[in-house]
Amino acid sequence: MVSHYLSLSVILFCLGILGVVSRRNVFIVFMSIELMLNAANLGFVSLSRLHVNMDGHVLALMVMAVAAAEAALALAVIILLHKHKGNLDTNIFSLLKG
Amino acid sequence: MITTYLFFGFALLAVLGALGLIIFKHPMNGAMSFVVTLISLAGLYALLSAKLIFAIQLIVYAGAIMSLILFIIMFLNIQEKDLPLDPNRWFYLAGGIVVVAPIAGLLIKITRSLPATEVTVFEDGFGSVKEVGQLLFTQWLLPFEIVSILLLVALVGAVVLAGKRGVN
Repeated sequence: MVSHYLSLSVILFCLGILGVVSRRNVFIVFMSIELMLNAANLGFVSLSRLHVNMDGHVLALMVMAVAAAEAALALAVIILLHKHKGNLDTNIFSLLKG
Repeated sequence: MITTYLFFGFALLAVLGALGLIIFKHPMNGAMSFVVTLISLAGLYALLSAKLIFAIQLIVYAGAIMSLILFIIMFLNIQEKDLPLDPNRWFYLAGGIVVVAPIAGLLIKITRSLPATEVTVFEDGFGSVKEVGQLLFTQWLLPFEIVSILLLVALVGAVVLAGKRGVN
């Protein structure tokens, strides 16, 4: 049933939100964001199976391209912050605080 | 019938991998458990007859992006003492569950109202490289080109950010 796939997508998205909220390790936060993107992809693909229409597949491809770009940039930022602060705690990264 | 069993197996693996990601302390363990989630999601795409997305999920996500993340985690050589202490982790997790669980319950209830289509694997070209490629290069041509510009910008940005000399 397609609704099972959509329920799984909801559950994975909520687990991603919980990872972002509850953890302070910047790698875990980053991978939780990737998990949320994957949950959205699963939603796209299962709805595209429900309507027998392939637009959802194309949208999933776009999301994957955005995720790849985001991974490259986020990892560069993480390396830079680790070089400056020597730590992976998200609470230390408060450079923009006024 | 076998697709139902496969679905529940992959779904269980995906949820367990995601739980491991948000529970394990060391990012290395979290990343390995996230790889399990990504591979079982690829299996789910195959069950939904999205053949191109299945291959790309395995190659790009579980292959390229995750090996990049693992490479960076190993590159920074994270010791146990470098990790954030996270004393309030379970507290924040419980608070997050209290906020997120009603929304999740509502959304799952909404998905129940969809038409009950049995998921069978299509034998024809649905989701194959040819069909999706035709759609991508006709109807979705402009978004495709914009994504190429986005990737170029991300490439230049990563080089500028990571290639700085003499910041320290």
